[in-house]
Amino acid sequence: MNYSQQLKQLNLKELHYYKQWAALLTQEGIEGLPQVPVDVDGCLGIFEDQQLIATGAYQKNVLKYIAVDANYQGGKLFNDIISALINTLTQQGVFHFFVFTKPIYRQSFEFVGFKLLAQTSLAVLLEAGDASLQQFIAQVPRLENQSTATISAIVMNANPFTLGHRYLVTQATQKSDFVYVFVVSQDVSLFTTEERFKLVQQGLSDLPNVIVVQSGDYMVSYATFPSYFLPESQDIIEYQTALDAQLFKKIAAQLNIQQRFLGEEPFSKTTALYNQALKATLPPEITVEVIPRLKAATQTISATQVRKAIQNGTIETIHTFVPETTYQFIKQNQAILQARIQKGMQVDGN
Amino acid sequence: MERLRRTMMFVPGNNPGMLKDAGIYGADSVMFDLEDSVSLAEKDAARMLVMQALQTVDYGDTELVVRINGLETPFGRPDIFAMVKAGVNVIRLPKTETVDDVLETEAVIAEAEAYFNIPIKTTKMMAAIESAEGVLNAPAIAKASDRLIGIAIGAEDYVTNMKTHRYPDGAELSFARNMILHGARAAGIAAFDTVYSDVDNEAGFNHEVELIHELGFDGKSVINPRQIPLVNAIYAPTEKDVQNAKDVLNAIEEARIKGSGVIALNGKMVDKPVVARAQRTMMLAEASHLVDQEGNWHAE
Amino acid sequence: MEIKHTAIAGTLESSDIQIMLSKIEGPTEIELESAVEKQFGTQIRTLMQTILDQYGLTNVKIKAVDKGALDCTIKARLITVIQRATDKQNDPDWEVLG
Repeated sequence: MNYSQQLKQLNLKELHYYKQWAALLTQEGIEGLPQVPVDVDGCLGIFEDQQLIATGAYQKNVLKYIAVDANYQGGKLFNDIISALINTLTQQGVFHFFVFTKPIYRQSFEFVGFKLLAQTSLAVLLEAGDASLQQFIAQVPRLENQSTATISAIVMNANPFTLGHRYLVTQATQKSDFVYVFVVSQDVSLFTTEERFKLVQQGLSDLPNVIVVQSGDYMVSYATFPSYFLPESQDIIEYQTALDAQLFKKIAAQLNIQQRFLGEEPFSKTTALYNQALKATLPPEITVEVIPRLKAATQTISATQVRKAIQNGTIETIHTFVPETTYQFIKQNQAILQARIQKGMQVDGN
Repeated sequence: MERLRRTMMFVPGNNPGMLKDAGIYGADSVMFDLEDSVSLAEKDAARMLVMQALQTVDYGDTELVVRINGLETPFGRPDIFAMVKAGVNVIRLPKTETVDDVLETEAVIAEAEAYFNIPIKTTKMMAAIESAEGVLNAPAIAKASDRLIGIAIGAEDYVTNMKTHRYPDGAELSFARNMILHGARAAGIAAFDTVYSDVDNEAGFNHEVELIHELGFDGKSVINPRQIPLVNAIYAPTEKDVQNAKDVLNAIEEARIKGSGVIALNGKMVDKPVVARAQRTMMLAEASHLVDQEGNWHAE
Repeated sequence: MEIKHTAIAGTLESSDIQIMLSKIEGPTEIELESAVEKQFGTQIRTLMQTILDQYGLTNVKIKAVDKGALDCTIKARLITVIQRATDKQNDPDWEVLG
């Protein structure tokens, strides 16, 4: 920045700032802008006199809505705004960042230290900071005969872990030597990450060839797939799921995962689109098999139903949906779970 | 003879690009700022950048000044230690209000000099006055320490304290400017005027510089290199000034040769202030490249 | 000496260098992204290692993005990030600082 430029926090709830922000983004070719309230935790802008000439925002640890007025020195201003965003995040103790962007900006981000994670024709995903994909892969527990065994994977949010989830896993154990069960790490669901992970472990503890692992930032996370957690338009979901799938392929290659099992998805549109992306992207290196959902009597088992029952205080109705370990947990913690729902935690969605 | 301090260029301390280039613009002094232009989260970073720059970059004859954070903040003391260690010429105190402010700061500077085995009194000081209280105490502040090379007015905070704004005619600064000037002169030190932030308004800037030059200020803080030649032009002596100065200096030389005790010029006694002014005029003339090596006027 | 947590200093602006410092299990690693890698890469890494040695730091990872910083800037930024990682921002080790 030079003498006449100033960095400011942009409060997008103020119409004055929102208008300038939207105008700059539109001018720089970014479409599909949200109305107020904008889906960001913070937004910064560089002003020259009263004119907004560069902007960038972030949500959790993902950078978004980055735009630089092409009439000014683009390269320099780009570095300034990314710098400012990183400074803001590190001051909050966040040292690992991601960005989704168009492929034409890939190099600009690489010049400021970002590394490519996944790429499709529509979008790229990059990361920077003190954690990396390689570090994540290195800490996934290895098996004996990793390179010669048949290994499959399942990614689940398990909110909470049901017999439907267990069924999926047992199906997988019959078709492979080992099964990695990746539990989504992002902590935004009714059951916390710790709770979900523990219930998955407990619900599968009798199966010796199942390894339960946290998914980290790299699978179905706010970074790789934010629309899993937030409402978004279809094309955004499509490009994000494509990137998440690409990234999974990279991870799978290093762990010799040859197969991925998915539960059939009759309820969630987002999950259905995600499954479609996986089917389109993972083969031929990884085969994708969709397992029909387990039924309890005539009802398809779904975690959504379990959460609704907690909300309504009718947990006996879902007793047959879940293993005993999950049921006991729900019974003992019903009040806490209901309190979370009352405070605004969603039970629909994922 | 005190050095020229017509321009003191303000450089934000947390900007490596600006720090390394600060010496090339021809300012008489450069002031690296650790205070208001640096965000709270970056105070430590700016301190290290300025420290390393001071120890490494060649700034030629430019005087090196650093504006530290106040001692009432956690940053002030480490700022002083770092700058003394780095060999800064002048430490500028922000928001000086009382004689005690000066003495407290001087004590920490002395402590740092002792700690680093630097001869005591090596580091000079200047005080920025930015409030009504400070202005009223200016005469006492100016005499508070023999390390002080000058006092300055900081108009932005001052007008806020006075519940007004800055205006083009400068009436709101009139009393403050004069108090600081008188305080400085009575103490025999320099007086500095405040920054002019509208970098594009050359006419307005020149008007302000002409005013403070007329009042007798030694110089002005600038925030953009473009302002430097403008100040130097206004401070440049006229041919008549230079001739008068030469007459005085010639009279002194003649008296020395003849061995006479009293120096007279055109029937009047030439005393110390007159001599000082003559020497200063020649210094300004040389700095503005208006005279050749023999002191003869040769400007276009 | 041990660092207490990850820290960062510097920016991506021209003439600056952004340095992130974190603890690792193994020996020190220096990852540098610089437009002048060919001409100055070794020199920059050596300078950083020297400063780490002066502070007695052995199990750290440096991730640096250089935008044409002079040695004095690199030194300043690295010292700053070390101070931040050890929570000594306003309490520098005067003996170690050159």
